[in-house]
Amino acid sequence: MSHDDHQTHHVNYLAVFFVLCGCTGLSVLFDVLSMPKGVTIVLVLAVACAKAMSVMMYFMHLKFEGNWKYVLLAPTTILAVGLPIALFPDIGRSYYINAAPQVTAWADEVAEYEREHAAADGGAH
Amino acid sequence: MGIPIPNSKLGMWLFLGTEIMFFTAFIGSYIVLRLGSNGWPTRYEDTHINVLLGGINTFVLIVSSYCVVVAHEAMAQKNFARARGYLWVTTILAFVFLGIKGVEYKGKIDHDILPGRIPETSSQAMVKVADQLEELVRERFHAYTHAGVITAERPADVVTIAPLLQALSTAVRPSALTDSEFKRYQEASVADYELFQKWMNLKQHIVADVSLYEVESALPADYLAKRDALPEGARLPALKLEEVRRYLNDLKTRDWPLAGLINSRVFDPHPMVYGNIFASCYFIMTGFHAIHVIVGMILFGMVLKQGSSLNERWTDWVENSGLYWHFVDLVWIFLFPLLYII
Repeated sequence: MSHDDHQTHHVNYLAVFFVLCGCTGLSVLFDVLSMPKGVTIVLVLAVACAKAMSVMMYFMHLKFEGNWKYVLLAPTTILAVGLPIALFPDIGRSYYINAAPQVTAWADEVAEYEREHAAADGGAH
Repeated sequence: MGIPIPNSKLGMWLFLGTEIMFFTAFIGSYIVLRLGSNGWPTRYEDTHINVLLGGINTFVLIVSSYCVVVAHEAMAQKNFARARGYLWVTTILAFVFLGIKGVEYKGKIDHDILPGRIPETSSQAMVKVADQLEELVRERFHAYTHAGVITAERPADVVTIAPLLQALSTAVRPSALTDSEFKRYQEASVADYELFQKWMNLKQHIVADVSLYEVESALPADYLAKRDALPEGARLPALKLEEVRRYLNDLKTRDWPLAGLINSRVFDPHPMVYGNIFASCYFIMTGFHAIHVIVGMILFGMVLKQGSSLNERWTDWVENSGLYWHFVDLVWIFLFPLLYII
């Protein structure tokens, strides 16, 4: 179970930990601040990506690994990103299209629901 | 020539590659479904998503990730006691994470925010109120048939039991019951029979789709007679969700013995468009993540089982378990904003 390849990389793990905590606080702050929904989404996902990079680079030591990491992770990353892109034209743009029977039958109720939500969300973030 | 890392680490990274695809299948599908569903539920009143609890869990996982990486460092420095200490903290934090998740799940279960149980339209919400009232009626009626207060050929048929219940005040006491017991049942039967009537009335109005307050009786014969009396092309006023809300509210707030029970067991009608697919996405993503947390706890548990005899032979194990644990943290880093904030 052992090998002699456990080099010490002199990473300040505590600093990485505080960066991650700060990023989490930032995510919650973006949620609390009244900003347009699109801006909140972009900011919050950008913070999530920054956190993920910190964990992968320092906690998982990818920063100090050789080029094998690209060989191993590139195919899975491409497939992972490709899945939503492949699904998007079929589902993301037309999950419940107007011609779907349940939407035709519920059109009034859906409109009423959305009106209620618009009224309830008025002024909230 | 080959990849310059131990086989076990290579194996773990290959496994993590498959895990990336596993979770992105769910996360990607969630993003696509959500983009394609205009009106996705996001309000706390609809989803009971608690940002504070999600934030605390994020913090818990970050602390645990830090502990794992320090434990691995300690193993590399052959400081096994320190490594064990940090792994204990990690395992305890994993329990804390699951505990908080349990609290969140309980909130969802208490409010019936479960896949397939959320009404998405007004008509489904009205039917759900009737169904929940029916459940109460059946439960109340079962108490009489089970105790032998009422003897019926078909104890599950509430429609045939209802007249027996109505006549209970003048019925003869069964020999198996004492006077005081029978009197208690007689007193309770008044409210229980009224509950049956209220439920039946609501159900008939839902089936006929006529107003609860403008059309007094929706019994098939009454309803058909009223419909026949209408001029050609005219319709009886339809049942509205607001009426069912008012009807239920009256049952919950009036001064009668069943108010508390109805309050706790029958939810206010609350249609939520895309509510079921939201619940499916929430439970499948957080559920699989929780399973991964449990697997991580088992991996750490096997190291901790070594106790003071932990030695350098376990260094690779701790490193690979740590990689796995960081991946579990990574998944949560994306689930938290996607499910709790956005």
